[in-house]
Amino acid sequence: MTSVTLPYELDNTAEDPRRRPALITGEAGLGFDRVTDEVCRVAEARRPPRAWYLAMGVSSLGLAILVVMVAYLVFTGIGVWNLNRPVCWAFDITNFVFWIGIGHAGTLISAILFLLRQKWRTSINRFAEAMTIFAVICAGLFPAIHLGRIWFAYWLFPYPNQMGTWPNFVSPLVWDVFAVSTYATVSLLFWYMGMVPDLATFRDRATTKLRFYIYGALSLGWRGSQRHWHVYERAYLLLAALATALVVSVHSVVSTDFAVAQLPGWHSTIFPPYFVAGAIFSGFAMVVTLAIPAREMFGLKDFITPRHLDNMAKIILVTSCMVGYSYLMEFFTAWRSGNPWDQFHFLNRMFGPMGWCGWVMLICNAVIPQVLWLKFARRKVWILFVVSVLVNVGMWFERFVIIAVGLHRDFLPSNWGSYRPSYVEVWTLVGSFGLFLTLFMLFCRYLPMVAMAEVKGILPVGHEGPSQFRAASDAQLPEMGSASSGIAPILDSPHPNPLPEGEGTEAASHLPEGEGTEHASSAPHPGHLPEGEGEPWGLLATYRDPAALRAAARVVRDAGYRQWDCYSPFPVHGLDEAMGIRPTVLPWLVFAGGLAGCMLALVMQWYVNSPFTAVSAAGGLAGLPLVFSGKPYWSLAANIPIAFELTVLLASLTAFLGLWALVRLPRYHFPPFASRQFRKVTDDGFTLVIEARDEKFNRATTRELIRSTGCVAVEEIKDT
Amino acid sequence: MGSKPLLTFPRWSNKAAVGVLVGLVGLPLYVGLLLAYGANPTSLTVGYQPVQPVPYSHAVHAGKLGIDCRYCHTTVEKTGMAALPPTEVCMNCHKAIFPNSAKLAEVRKSYVEGTPIPWVKVHDLADYVYFNHSAHVNAGVGCITCHGPIQQMETVRTVAPLNMAWCLSCHRDPKPFLRPRDQVTNMDWTPPAGVAATALGEQLREKYHVNPSTDCVTCHR
Repeated sequence: MTSVTLPYELDNTAEDPRRRPALITGEAGLGFDRVTDEVCRVAEARRPPRAWYLAMGVSSLGLAILVVMVAYLVFTGIGVWNLNRPVCWAFDITNFVFWIGIGHAGTLISAILFLLRQKWRTSINRFAEAMTIFAVICAGLFPAIHLGRIWFAYWLFPYPNQMGTWPNFVSPLVWDVFAVSTYATVSLLFWYMGMVPDLATFRDRATTKLRFYIYGALSLGWRGSQRHWHVYERAYLLLAALATALVVSVHSVVSTDFAVAQLPGWHSTIFPPYFVAGAIFSGFAMVVTLAIPAREMFGLKDFITPRHLDNMAKIILVTSCMVGYSYLMEFFTAWRSGNPWDQFHFLNRMFGPMGWCGWVMLICNAVIPQVLWLKFARRKVWILFVVSVLVNVGMWFERFVIIAVGLHRDFLPSNWGSYRPSYVEVWTLVGSFGLFLTLFMLFCRYLPMVAMAEVKGILPVGHEGPSQFRAASDAQLPEMGSASSGIAPILDSPHPNPLPEGEGTEAASHLPEGEGTEHASSAPHPGHLPEGEGEPWGLLATYRDPAALRAAARVVRDAGYRQWDCYSPFPVHGLDEAMGIRPTVLPWLVFAGGLAGCMLALVMQWYVNSPFTAVSAAGGLAGLPLVFSGKPYWSLAANIPIAFELTVLLASLTAFLGLWALVRLPRYHFPPFASRQFRKVTDDGFTLVIEARDEKFNRATTRELIRSTGCVAVEEIKDT
Repeated sequence: MGSKPLLTFPRWSNKAAVGVLVGLVGLPLYVGLLLAYGANPTSLTVGYQPVQPVPYSHAVHAGKLGIDCRYCHTTVEKTGMAALPPTEVCMNCHKAIFPNSAKLAEVRKSYVEGTPIPWVKVHDLADYVYFNHSAHVNAGVGCITCHGPIQQMETVRTVAPLNMAWCLSCHRDPKPFLRPRDQVTNMDWTPPAGVAATALGEQLREKYHVNPSTDCVTCHR
């Protein structure tokens, strides 16, 4: 094959990364502290922008409407909705599927794009994850209230009870309960875990006691320790891998609510992939719908750049094509199947009494997004905004068409009916947007909207350092490695000052002076060290950049210290090896957790459906052998969804709890927190702390060692 | 800079965090167990012993005097309800025995005025449950099986939780609870020597055609 030189714009195989626009632009792209400042500004401003008040007012009005409508429903009964035979599901389940679909983008961005190393996700993942959680809250509301007696919602969960009954584990509706609750839990864990380092940034910038203690409590005493980052990164990767499988499973399970029924238009094997594609489609459309006003309102245009919007527009376009293909395949399958009921259903979908819904769905989802083929449309913010809103209108109608239009004409013409929503149903839908946007507005105002730690990690400055410094410190390695008994050889050796001449002083002068801070550039003489009151807790050294810290870590490691650590605003590449941190045991714990979840699910389902346990166990522990459609009591195939969900749930919980157990957080008290130098770790500080409890620690010699690593400042930490 | 000390968490907060974690796990566990115990019919129903308007003693009538259950609860073999006796049944004997007893004042008043004695129902099933006494009695389920040793009770109390899981335990496997029909009201009956209750129960189950249904509609009609 001859190689063809394509124009740059058309060649997607050999894209030159250097020619892409920067991910983080403007001021924020210049340094770590700029990122911190720009993101924190939103939450630290005394007053949010006026637009925030407006949006908050409108959305809390919506929330109030929701509360009134749900209260009316609960106190009056399900009859206030216009549900009846044959349309027994309409707005309620449509809204459920709509919201759970919206909730898919967050995990997709955080997990799948993370696994695919898509760095542009870092700007949008935090608020997409938040959006996921709020959408899942809205989604969970509808199945709960459509039960009628919402106070019995806990009956959905398997627990030993006085009725001697258990959920029917071969029913997709029960799979739904497990899938959605697992999804909500894992999304919440993922979101919160990702937010902990950023909450620590908020804590360290807090100017009021209230902010300090609230963000301090939430950030669990996070200190940017490299030993913590090491486990954290692994936990994040594991959660991402688990969430990736989960996100695909959730909408697949939701689709089986319909696909396993015999109704024409529902009974289709195409449903799981079709629903997943639709979920990603609507989810990304919602991210764009929220991102465009949010970047205007909070001045986040440096983070959510045209390149981000362009990428999201491309995903919307791809998924639109997938959804459009699914629509066509449904018609094709009905035609080719020769099944008159299926053929009637799809004719009725487009030309029946509710045919207009079918056209709204087709045009909004499959036709209008085609405009995004044009680069012009992807770059024009208002076009993108309008398209994304229309996509969500279309996706709501897609679910409505499948559910309500599917139900109103079934096999028996004598059973046909029609459906028109009552005002309660319409206002409950409106109110659910109120709930969603209220939560979102509160999130924007009070929590870190952009994942600062992750954004800092992808900044170009995060990967560059003075190369001559690295060479200098590497040259020292063999010499130090041989120093097995203490650090005397280092003291004897002439001090190679790795910092370029003059720059050490300059860099140090920028640092705020804390108590006991002493600049490395001042005369290094052990005899003249300022004696602090009492024994020191440890020695803290500050470095200019990640590379300097990494080099220093090697020195300290080779000197044989054990009770020491590096602290950085984001996990620094290669620092694990430089420090000699051994791989964490967390993956094995997570594997054990997942295995336990799988076994628990299988044993539970066997136990609960077994005729043996029905007579051998007493009271609430007795099994409930249900006969359904002639299926066997124990059917592995039907038990797989719940086994999968519990595997993911327990593995994720193990990853989350295991992380905090392994790093021994929360621990709120840590002596270096009293140091101003150390507080900059969550902003742009790169520090190394050697603790006094180390056997090798010696006030004078340790300080000499630290000085030799080319730090910009040394500080003695008191035990507080 | 450096004059005002930074805000920090006190040393004890490291331990408080452990306490909070224990609380986060312990409190839901405690509340869950409390609810499981407190809301369980075994706690709520078993031992329910309301004060009756007349201090009628089953221990005396059914135990000491040996009056058959069906003397008073006449319809137990024929209808769903095991009828509560009308006052006239009491007066069959009490016209002659203890006719002036102060304890029987309420009974005499009811007899003269023609108003029923306001007995308090002890074994009260939920309204959405259909229960038929005759079906159970004719299948060979003894009175004592559900009502306990009535012949020893001064005041009647419940001994069984009367909840659905309890009903289902017998409906799924009735063998251990069956006895010959003519022994249903016998409070002292035990399986004949050398015969296991379940073996006898299996014979009786086939003889009486006892195939209890566990369909929802069996009880929730």
